[in-house]
Amino acid sequence: MINPLDFTGKQILIAGAAAGIGKETAILLSRLGARVLLIDINEDGLKEAASCLEGSGHHLFCFDLSELNEIEPKVKEIVLSHGPIDGFVHCLGVRCRRPLSMITPKVLNEIFSLNFGSFLELVRCITKKNNFNEGLSIVGISSVSSQKGGMSVTAYAASKAAMDSAVRCLAKELASKKIRLNTVVPAQINTPAYTSFLKMNAGIEDETLSRQYLGMGEPIDVANVIAFLLNTSSKFITGSSIPVDGGFLSS
Amino acid sequence: MINPMELTGKKILVAGAASEIGLAIITQLRQLGAKVVSLDKPEGNHLKILRNSESDGTVFYTFDIYENALIEPNLNQIIKECGVFDGFVYCAGIGGVRPLSFTKGSFISEMMNANLYSFVEMVRCLSKKNSLVNGGSIVAVSSVSSIKGLKSKTAYCASKAALDASVRCMAAELSGKKIRVNSILKGWVESDMKKDFIKNNMDLNENDDFKKQVLGVIDPVEVANTVAFLLSNATKTITGISLILDGGYTL
Repeated sequence: MINPLDFTGKQILIAGAAAGIGKETAILLSRLGARVLLIDINEDGLKEAASCLEGSGHHLFCFDLSELNEIEPKVKEIVLSHGPIDGFVHCLGVRCRRPLSMITPKVLNEIFSLNFGSFLELVRCITKKNNFNEGLSIVGISSVSSQKGGMSVTAYAASKAAMDSAVRCLAKELASKKIRLNTVVPAQINTPAYTSFLKMNAGIEDETLSRQYLGMGEPIDVANVIAFLLNTSSKFITGSSIPVDGGFLSS
Repeated sequence: MINPMELTGKKILVAGAASEIGLAIITQLRQLGAKVVSLDKPEGNHLKILRNSESDGTVFYTFDIYENALIEPNLNQIIKECGVFDGFVYCAGIGGVRPLSFTKGSFISEMMNANLYSFVEMVRCLSKKNSLVNGGSIVAVSSVSSIKGLKSKTAYCASKAALDASVRCMAAELSGKKIRVNSILKGWVESDMKKDFIKNNMDLNENDDFKKQVLGVIDPVEVANTVAFLLSNATKTITGISLILDGGYTL
């Protein structure tokens, strides 16, 4: 039997790997034969994620990705120590519920810096000559809120729409180097981030969840799609945003 | 190593099997462990190859799949002989280039009949009791034509858009049985190139159109990979989507 998701010999960088979708993606890729390089600000979380990995050759990097100027030297260091990258997944971000009145310039800048700025800067650095291998594939995690309107999610939604748009442009710009970029577009997924989001908004009905008629997604559901996009099985898919949303966007 | 895309023990019905894409799909599905029942009209370019594949265990049926009245009795017979299906792929349909001035009702009907009515009728039959398992997956091979404005392709584009709209509605309606329905918007596939270049030189735009695919012309195997992905458990929370597989054409 063939295995279209075999990652033997491939090295994948995952930013935001200590919890949720990032952690599940790291575990899945390790089970599919990849060497994974995990970045997160949470050292304990990283170690815990590492204890769940299969195989060997994995490495951990603990630093703050909201410090955008620190990213270039860090990526250089990672590639110098471990070699060029075959795939990159961006799984970090802040999700917050803020009505317009509370979206001050400072708050907007913080959200954009982490959700979008870190994505773009990591992509800029990884796609520099000698930092990647042929067939590099990049996946960002967007959100259904990037396409649908929601209450009090303006800043978050806009940051995800920015990511989708950048991915379309970069897919065209980097096609000549055979670099592919795509996003996955989840609705509500059962992660710690979602659980704390619910706690913060106790009592408010989750309208999104009620419209994803296949029910709540699990991190492995998103991880599976990320794996497909990272692998050569999807080598003609670029610039796209794939919903992993239990039917939400179509409902 | 785990294999998230494996289809061991799954029985898949493929309508429109006697085509280059159909054959690629059958091959890929079998290599992932599926049992395939293939279906097409009694005359066609690839019938011989399909008949030869019977020796590998692929079961093959023929009837005029675009003759709406024949679908129900034939599918009933197929289900009686083969048992319940786990998945259904519709990769049948017809193409057609015709300027608006010649696009009369009869041409539109012909296009709709092959690209929409047959698909809906087949899904209607499969949605009946004991035909498609709960948790089954349906994949329709559509086209980027569904979302692009293309000269001399009004009827064709409208028929593909109709196909995608039906997919979204079926996804909502069949969600109670956890049956997922999705389509693939494919760009220029290698097999299309041969058909269109030979038959249609009247619209000069056609000849350069494929150059918009920054990653090149798509191999039928890539369509097969994407079909397999959507049929597998790896996509158990994906429904109602139109997955773009176009090498960057729509960017």
